[in-house]
Amino acid sequence: MTPLTYDVVVIGGGMAGFTSALYLTGQGYKVAIISKGDPVCCLSTGCIDVLSSDKNPLDGIPGLSRDHPYHLVGKKGITDALNFFKRIMQDTPIPYSGTPRKNRTILTPIGTAKTTCLVPMTMAGSETESDTYIHVISFKGLKDFFPSYITSGRRNIRFSLYDAGTSSTIGIATLFEDKSFRREFISWIQNLELPHGKVAFPAVLGIRNPLKILTEISDQIGREIFEIPTLPPSIPGLRLFRTLKSSFIKSGGDNYWGKVIASVESQGDQIEAVTLKSPGRPSRVPGKAFILSTGSFVSGGLYATRNTVKETVFDLPVFVPGTRKDWFKEDFFQAGHAIETAGIKVDSSFRPVNTRFGNLFVSGSILSHAEIMKNHCGHGLAIATGFRAAKICEEFLS
Amino acid sequence: MSFEHCVRCTVCVENCPVFKVEPLFPGPKQAGPDAQRFRLDGEKSVDQWVRLCSQCKRCEVSCPNDVEVSEIILNAQLKYSREHLSPFSSHLFANTYYISGLGSLAAPVFNRVSSWGISKGVMSLLGIATSLPFPSFRFLTLQRGWKRRGRGARKVVFFHGCFLNFNRPDIGRGIRDLLASLGVQVIIPKQSCCGLPALGNGDLDMARKYAQQNAATLARYIDKGHDVVYACTSCGLTLVRDYPGVLDITLGEKISENTYNVHEYLLSLIENGYTELAPAQVNMTIAYHIPCHLRALGIGYPAARILERIPGLTCHLMEDNCCGLSGSYGFKKKNQGISRKLGQLASSAIREREVEAIVSDCGACRMQLSHYTGLPAFDPSELIVESMKKP
Repeated sequence: MTPLTYDVVVIGGGMAGFTSALYLTGQGYKVAIISKGDPVCCLSTGCIDVLSSDKNPLDGIPGLSRDHPYHLVGKKGITDALNFFKRIMQDTPIPYSGTPRKNRTILTPIGTAKTTCLVPMTMAGSETESDTYIHVISFKGLKDFFPSYITSGRRNIRFSLYDAGTSSTIGIATLFEDKSFRREFISWIQNLELPHGKVAFPAVLGIRNPLKILTEISDQIGREIFEIPTLPPSIPGLRLFRTLKSSFIKSGGDNYWGKVIASVESQGDQIEAVTLKSPGRPSRVPGKAFILSTGSFVSGGLYATRNTVKETVFDLPVFVPGTRKDWFKEDFFQAGHAIETAGIKVDSSFRPVNTRFGNLFVSGSILSHAEIMKNHCGHGLAIATGFRAAKICEEFLS
Repeated sequence: MSFEHCVRCTVCVENCPVFKVEPLFPGPKQAGPDAQRFRLDGEKSVDQWVRLCSQCKRCEVSCPNDVEVSEIILNAQLKYSREHLSPFSSHLFANTYYISGLGSLAAPVFNRVSSWGISKGVMSLLGIATSLPFPSFRFLTLQRGWKRRGRGARKVVFFHGCFLNFNRPDIGRGIRDLLASLGVQVIIPKQSCCGLPALGNGDLDMARKYAQQNAATLARYIDKGHDVVYACTSCGLTLVRDYPGVLDITLGEKISENTYNVHEYLLSLIENGYTELAPAQVNMTIAYHIPCHLRALGIGYPAARILERIPGLTCHLMEDNCCGLSGSYGFKKKNQGISRKLGQLASSAIREREVEAIVSDCGACRMQLSHYTGLPAFDPSELIVESMKKP
C-alpha cells in the first residue's frame, strides 16, 4: 500500500462538488470530498434548472451578463455536463427525464407553474398547461402543503386528504417505504373511485426507491401519477443528495463530512494539504489538486462582513459589487440584487484570478456573476462548471 | 457554533432518524436551536420530548452552519434529568459498567437467567425492552487476559470499553494480537466505562467520575510515548469529543489529541511504511454499516479503506440509516417502538443488497442489525484478522 495522497480533494459536497468528484472517480482518480454539512441541494426541488428565460435554456445564454460563468463553459460544454448528469442518474433509483435543449414546467405547491429543465422521473408527468383532470392527494396536517392553493387557481382539479398519522414530509415518506402502509393507502385510493385523469401527490413517495413506489401505486390504481415538490424539508432534494453521495462512495471516493477546514498547507504555488478542524488533533487531507465548490452565502463559501465579502477556505480575492449601499435594491422581491454577483472570478481554466495557487480550481455558485436567483440557473450552473472544472483538473493531473 | 447561528434550513430535520418514525419528537431543529432560547436558567424544563433524542449526532454532521445541534439537545437532556426524577431503567443503564462486571463474574448463570421468560417479565416491569436478546457476558474478559503484548518502536494503550471487555473479548484479543503482530507494543490498562452510558442517561456526575479515572490512566501512558487506540466508535467519540467538551475533564485535551480509531491507526502504520499488510483472499459480500458515531468522528471511514484491500471481499458501504439501538436507548421500553422501526428500515436497506454478512464497528449496531436481518455481523477487525491468517 502506498501513502495516500488524493489525486483530487473536492471541498464542498453539493451539486458542483459531486459532479466534479463523480467525473474524476469515473476516470480512475482517487478523490476525497470534504464538506461542512449537507448541501443546499437537500432543500431544493430536485429539479435541474438551467436557465428559465427561453424555451430552450441554451438560447438564453447570449443574453446573460458578460461575466456569467456559463460563457466559460459554452453551449456544448453545458449540454455535455447535463448529459453526464443524466447518465450518472440513469443507473440509480432516481433517474431523470428531459433534455438539456428544452425547458418544461412543473406544478408547484401553490398551483403555479415553475420552469425547469431536467426533472426526476417522478415529476415527469407533471401537468401545468393542459386541461386534464388532476386529483391531488395530500395528507392530513402536512405542513406547508395546502392543496386548496392548487385547486383555487385552476379548474378541473380536486383534492382528497389521507390521514397517515403523522404530518411531516420525512415521516410520511418513511411510511411509504413500508409495504403494508402502501397496501392500505392504495386500497383507500381505490375506494375514492377517482374520475379519469392524473393523480398528483406531494413529493413524499418514499426516500430510497420513489420511482418503484410510484409505479406500484400507479399500476394498482390505474392512473398516471406525478409528484409535486414541497417546501423544505424536501424529499426530492434529499433523494438527489443521498443518491449523489452514495454513487460517489460506490465509485471509491472518500468523504469527510461535518468538517470545517482549519488550515491550508502550501509550498510555492501548490496547495499540498488541508487540515480539518477536529476536537483534539486536526486531521490532514493531502492532495495533488483541489477543487473549491463551497457555494455562496447560504452554504458558507462566502461570508459577508459589514463592508466586504470573504472567501472562507483559502481567503481568495472576492469580486464585490461596490460598497454595501450598492449591494441591495430597495424592493426585496425585485430580482437582481447586486450582491448576487459577488464571488470568485476565474480565468478560462477555472483557476481563481489574482492568486498564486496553480492546483486550485473553482466551480459552482461561489463563482462571481452567476446571479442564480435572477437567472434560475442553480443546479445547471453547478453541474456545468463542476464538470468543466473536473475536466481541466484531469488535464492538469495527466 | 451557538444556537443563534441556526438559519432554520431544516437539513438536520431531514437527517434525524427519530423524527422519521416518531411524531412526538419535534425534530432536531425545534428540539435544539429553536427551543434553546426558552430554556432559561432557574426555570424548570417542560420539554420532556427532548429525551426522545438518541444522540446519534446525525443532525450535527449534516448542519451546514456548524451548529452543535446534538450538544444543545444533550445539555437540554441533562437539564431535564437534573430537574426531574429519572426512571429506574435510566439509573440501571447509567451503571452499565457495574452491571456488566457482575454479569461477567456470574456469566453462565446470568446469561441463562436473562433469557428466561420470568426474567423478561421482571425486566419489562423495570422499563427494559425485551424484544432484542440481551447481549451475553463472558467470564474471561479482556481484562482477565494478556495485558501486554508485542514489541516495537510504536506503543499503544488500548481503550477497549465495556462491550469488548465483558461481551466480546474475542474481538478485543484479535485486535490486541493483530497490532502486536505488526510490531506494536500493546498495553491494556485497567479502565472504567468511557462514561457515555451515564451521560446518555442523564447522570453527568457519574460520567465525569469515569472520565476522570480513565483520563488519569491514559494520560500517564501518553506521557510515556503511547498513543491511545479505541475500537468502539462510541467510546472513541466520547474520549475525543466529550472529555474536553461537555465533560470538561482537565486532561481532556491531551486525551483527545492522542487518541486514534484502531483502523485509522493501522492505516497510518501502513502509510508511513512502518508495517505492511498482505491480506489473503476472503470471499464474501458484506454490507458495511457505518455507525452514526463513526460518522460523527469525521475521520472518514478508515476500516473501509483497509477492507477494500482484502482480495475477494465485496463491500457495500451503507451510511444513510441509523440502526436505531443507540446503546441503551433501544433497550428502554419507552423507545422500543422507535428502535424497532429504525432497525427494520436499516435492515431492509441491507437486505436489498443481497449480502452474506454485516460489518460494523459498533457492537450495538451489530446486535440490532443482526437481529433484524438474521445475518451474521462482524467487527471490521474480525475480517482483517481473518484475512491475515496464513493459509
